[in-house]
Amino acid sequence: MPYVEAKNLFAIFEHEATTSKISEDVLFYCTQRGLSQEEAVGLVLNGFVKDVLQQLPMEFAVEAQKLISIFLEGSVG
Amino acid sequence: MSWLEVKDLKVRVEDREILHGLTLTVNPGEVHAIMGPNGSGKSTLSHVIAGKPGYEVTDGQILFRGEDLLEMEPDERAAKGVFPAFQYPVEIPGVATMNFLRTALNAQRKARGESEFSKPDFLKKVREVAKSLNIPQDMLKRGVNAGFSGGEKKRNEILQMALFEPAVCILDEMDSGLDIDALRIAADGVNALRSPHRAMIVITHYQRLLNYIVPNVVHVMSKGRVVKSGDQQLALELETAGYAQFEDVA
Ligand SMILES: Nc1ncnc2c1ncn2[C@@H]1O[C@H](COP(=O)(O)OP(=O)(O)OP(=O)(O)O)[C@@H](O)[C@H]1O
Ligand SMILES: [Mg+2]
Repeated sequence: MPYVEAKNLFAIFEHEATTSKISEDVLFYCTQRGLSQEEAVGLVLNGFVKDVLQQLPMEFAVEAQKLISIFLEGSVG
Repeated sequence: MSWLEVKDLKVRVEDREILHGLTLTVNPGEVHAIMGPNGSGKSTLSHVIAGKPGYEVTDGQILFRGEDLLEMEPDERAAKGVFPAFQYPVEIPGVATMNFLRTALNAQRKARGESEFSKPDFLKKVREVAKSLNIPQDMLKRGVNAGFSGGEKKRNEILQMALFEPAVCILDEMDSGLDIDALRIAADGVNALRSPHRAMIVITHYQRLLNYIVPNVVHVMSKGRVVKSGDQQLALELETAGYAQFEDVA
């Protein structure tokens, strides 16, 4: 996977996750159902990433997984 | 002791006062209906009870079984048994409903010091509850409310209510968007949850729902206050006379 594409992918995750997908309303919904703030962020981000991954061709999967673990580490907390 | 006691509650949203001193007491075993015109503050009340950010409580209090609810985080309220079924549930794509439900239920149980459900045990439980509400299994595999129809979202809220077995339930327009059969099934589900250890608030615009879920008390809300309370007869009167008679009171 070329570097530039990996970078783009990262940018997409970051953009989507910070703007639309993980809105305050979604976090509130999760916490109101019993999840802590941290659990809620983790669950929603993981779900979002899965959603994006499913739309990628197979050959990207491994690289994408690596990126995601980095991304998730940086985002939670 | 009351399960829910809202006392002279004043709430602001973005510097505008929406609730102007609302008082409401719900005892265990009771079902209260709240009716009122659009914008009278019904959903605002539900959100404040749930702990949604963005609402500033400037006066009054909310007691849940004698405890100060406003001091608690939303997840603490959930674990204690406060459950609002939202008028507009959000979508969480990528998070399978089944996974979400198990994570949420186990988080609540953990907070209460109860044992967590194993995957198989949970599966058994959720399937039972879904079946009783006529919710198809494949809905549970999809993302939380992702691409659900309006009615499916409402059913998913009722499913969660049945699963979490909360002490106080606030159903915000659960009847809007439900077809006739789905309404009957959802109402049966709600009625099955009526218990001496549970209190419910049912927010609706339509008297019809109250034929299915017969309330102990009916309140009329207007402009951020409860302006009249009565029995089911009050809902019937509203159906014919509308809300004009309450304009002056509020
Ligand atoms: N986040 C917000 N920002 C600004 N105004 C708000 C916000 N939330 C609620 N309001 C206002 O508060 C008032 C009460 O709204 P609320 O949703 O509680 O009414 P409602 O009784 O549930 O109405 P409906 O029957 O249409 O569902 C409305 O005038 C609404 O515009
Ligand atoms: Mg409303």
